[in-house]
Amino acid sequence: MALLDVRDLSIRYEPKQRPAVDAVDQLSFSIDEGEFVGLIGESGSGKTTVGMAVLRLLQRPGRISGGSITFDGTDIAHLSQDELRKYRWREISTVFQSSMNALNPVTRVEAQFADVIQCHTQLRGGEVTERIRTLFDMVLIDPKFMTAFPHELSGGMRQRINLALALAIGPRFVVLDEPTTGLDVVVQHSILENVRRLQAELGFAVLFISHDLGTVLDLSDRTMVMYAGKLAEEQATRQLLRDPLHPYTKGLLGSYGDPRAETVRITYVPGRPPDLAHRPDGCAFAARCPERIDRCAEIEPARTEAGEGLVACHVAAIQRGADGSGIEVGPPIRTFAGPQFVKSAAASAEAARGLPLVTVDDVSKTYVRRQGLRAVRTEAVSGANFVLHRGGVTALVGQSGSGKSTLARMITGVDAPTAGRITFHGSDGDQVVARMRGRRLRSYRGSVQMVFQDPYSALNPTKTLGATLARPLINFQQLHGSKLRERVIELLETVALSPGERFVNRYPHELSGGQRQRVVIARALAVEPELIVADEPISSLDVSIRAEVLELFDKLVHERNVGILYITHDLLSARMLCDEVVVLNEGKVVEQGPALDVIRSPQDDCTRLLLDAIPNPFAAARS
Amino acid sequence: MRYFARKIGFFVLTLWAVVTLNFLIPRLQPGDPAELMVQNLAGKNAQLNRAQVEAMRDLLGAPSGSLFSQYWSYLGQLAHGDLGISYTYFPYTVAEVIGKAFWWTVILVGAVQLLSFAIGILLGAFAAWRRNSRFDTSVTVISTFVGTLQPFWIALLLIYGLGYGLGWFPTAGGYEASTPGFNGAFLYDALSHAFLPALTLMIVTPIGWILGMRNTMIMNLGEDYIRLARAKGLPDRMIALRYAARNALLPSVAGFALALGGILGGTILVESVFDYPGLGRLMGEAVGIKDYPLLQGLMLLTAVATLVANLIADLLYGVLDPRARRAAA
Ligand SMILES: Nc1ncnc2c1ncn2[C@@H]1O[C@H](COP(=O)(O)OP(=O)(O)OP(=O)(O)O)[C@@H](O)[C@H]1O
Ligand code: SF4
Ligand SMILES: [Mg+2]
Repeated sequence: MALLDVRDLSIRYEPKQRPAVDAVDQLSFSIDEGEFVGLIGESGSGKTTVGMAVLRLLQRPGRISGGSITFDGTDIAHLSQDELRKYRWREISTVFQSSMNALNPVTRVEAQFADVIQCHTQLRGGEVTERIRTLFDMVLIDPKFMTAFPHELSGGMRQRINLALALAIGPRFVVLDEPTTGLDVVVQHSILENVRRLQAELGFAVLFISHDLGTVLDLSDRTMVMYAGKLAEEQATRQLLRDPLHPYTKGLLGSYGDPRAETVRITYVPGRPPDLAHRPDGCAFAARCPERIDRCAEIEPARTEAGEGLVACHVAAIQRGADGSGIEVGPPIRTFAGPQFVKSAAASAEAARGLPLVTVDDVSKTYVRRQGLRAVRTEAVSGANFVLHRGGVTALVGQSGSGKSTLARMITGVDAPTAGRITFHGSDGDQVVARMRGRRLRSYRGSVQMVFQDPYSALNPTKTLGATLARPLINFQQLHGSKLRERVIELLETVALSPGERFVNRYPHELSGGQRQRVVIARALAVEPELIVADEPISSLDVSIRAEVLELFDKLVHERNVGILYITHDLLSARMLCDEVVVLNEGKVVEQGPALDVIRSPQDDCTRLLLDAIPNPFAAARS
Repeated sequence: MRYFARKIGFFVLTLWAVVTLNFLIPRLQPGDPAELMVQNLAGKNAQLNRAQVEAMRDLLGAPSGSLFSQYWSYLGQLAHGDLGISYTYFPYTVAEVIGKAFWWTVILVGAVQLLSFAIGILLGAFAAWRRNSRFDTSVTVISTFVGTLQPFWIALLLIYGLGYGLGWFPTAGGYEASTPGFNGAFLYDALSHAFLPALTLMIVTPIGWILGMRNTMIMNLGEDYIRLARAKGLPDRMIALRYAARNALLPSVAGFALALGGILGGTILVESVFDYPGLGRLMGEAVGIKDYPLLQGLMLLTAVATLVANLIADLLYGVLDPRARRAAA
């Protein structure tokens, strides 16, 4: 019998001001003792909701509206909070999506282990401390941090500690909800390695939730793909890689390219998932599906066994002989026949011959921090040299803390270098960035625009898109009246928010993450910049949206001849967008060159580390 | 430790600035304090008697010498608690007048504030924990309603009902039939006089704490660390106290220290209505009759109280919230 058996689970959110949403609709799956099961799906598909339901932590306005959750033979879907207590942490524990805030900020880490250990075991006093020490060792953190407060730890450390906390009582089942999202790839990689090792050693079962296909496929024995509150497909991971059944799965797989190829090609799923408050008839994926047939729009595909997997798709069912309707659909295809994004090494070589736009010449930045009487010097950047080209994209790659953002700040003129110089070869002659003052500096700030990681906080939630975009136009170009409106709409259309009239009066919360990021980019474009500095602009977005934003950047480079400095820790996306790569480690440029060369034959250990951290599910499938 | 040292250093600096301003401002004002005082004693329209003014100048220790030496002797006087002489209560010194009113207010308002805070925090926390229960709804509705009432209106209602109507409590003054001192009769007398003003304040002051605590607590209950505490299967009481209330308390504690500093300003109305012999009433009077030395003394007291309260708030915050220590260091 399975450890966890979920049958026909439905979950409904009934917010006061908005229509009710069936976020999860008749979902069934099971997880065996010691099994590692992945759950992927794009943002809003209901992954976290499922995890929370299994943990029985759903909060108002959400509730389980149907089905059962059987854990070890008992249906826990309807137990009271008191009855649940004997399952909590001892049997089922968790690491949350944004575990950055999962620790109580005002108490020491140690106490947060101690309370749960004392609550569920006979251990007391020194034994508890001993246990915590062991747990810290397990996640490779020096036990001296036991007495630290959460804010004194780095994101990666906090996440490891959350993991240790989840294992404190030796649970049989752990829900990991995006445990590493938002962390540096290298840290992410090492934490997930840690998870994998501990799981093999201790034998707990895992439900691993993530929107990052790569890590899920890398770690899980079995993978479930979720779309609009339902399971689209479920298969053993190896099998899923070899023979994906659902078109959506194929679309997700298509977003992984091989960064080492001469020409990288990724496909992506166009459009957005349906609004769950108004679920369409038939297949929820139909509007985005290239394999769609007539009946898809009318009849909802049932969950069907196909080979060793399960799939909810008409076409797949027919192809695998699980549907006797006799409709002609042709043989199964492996790829997603959707839009493609292509980057070839030849085109990159072309771009690198463009005119220089910014020259970074032997630039260093030393921060001096007073600590009592001593002055502590931190070399954030030392002796950096590189050139940004017009009409080209350069990636600035490195682990967190390598000095990427410091460099970006100096290039945008917010900070001045302690040594060396940065020259901007603008339309009105060469200028040294750090020496600009007054009007000149203001106009430079207009020519250089930044796009940040988090599109959610970059926009003022109380302003419409029209107002947001009008501000820079009024300030920098003195536009007014109908001219202003025309230009706003034009900007919206440039970033593919069309028709623009439909978007001008919307508020940020009415947009998806990708749409918001595009608004941020539109705002950057409002002042007709010559250089865009984009700091991790896609890392918080879903794969299909990522492609959308990359595509937009690519278009800007080609159509407007702007230069882009793309800051990231992810070499795969760097290869997709960039012509050249500059690798930074501890403030020094350790390697630079054409993107393909750097990725194919990395010269520095740091580059290799970053490359190894890219999840590569396909490597495992091939071997 | 650096955090605390910084806060204390900052306190000393602002204290110095306040004291200095208090020295400078009257000196920048036109007019001769001795003349003002004689005029005050003689009545509005009386002719000024030069000799009296001279005598008064001597009595007041009229300023002489350079600004710096005046400043120096001002600091010396201040160190001895010498704030000058009150116009209205002549020949009492400002320090004496304030000293007498001080304890009336501090005891009344201090007790009321402490009690209100405790009650407010408890009710607010409990309402948030049982959100949308009948208890929560009644607490919120009643608080919001009472919050819209004017304190002096409540005061009048109480005077009318419990004072004149039922005659249970005296409606004005601080004591009457007894001699001040530490004896049973006086304590009883003072307490019964303090009852109505205290009740008025007790009805009004907890509102802010209740609603504030309820809001922060509800916000905190949505935080991930609360969810995690639930997932850990900890007993409800531990989650409510150690996780939710402990965090929600932070802004309230800082607010409380500040409220204590603001005691003076907040009680002018109520003290005036009940003719209670505290600082608030004194302040009202001093403003009314332009008793500058007294006013100046009260202002200094208020400013210092606010500064001290701020310091306490900062120090408390540093103890309660480890993040503050680090962020400011
Ligand atoms: N508190 C809530 N009130 C109303 N609707 C909600 C609430 N929480 C989630 N939803 C809705 O439920 C659906 C599923 O959300 P959920 O958080 O489970 O998605 P997810 O797959 O975990 O997404 P992500 O990858 O962004 O974490 C979404 O449509 C969301 O808008
Ligand atoms: S059922 Fe039809 S629309 Fe849905 S995924 Fe399958 S082919 Fe596409
Ligand atoms: Mg989620």
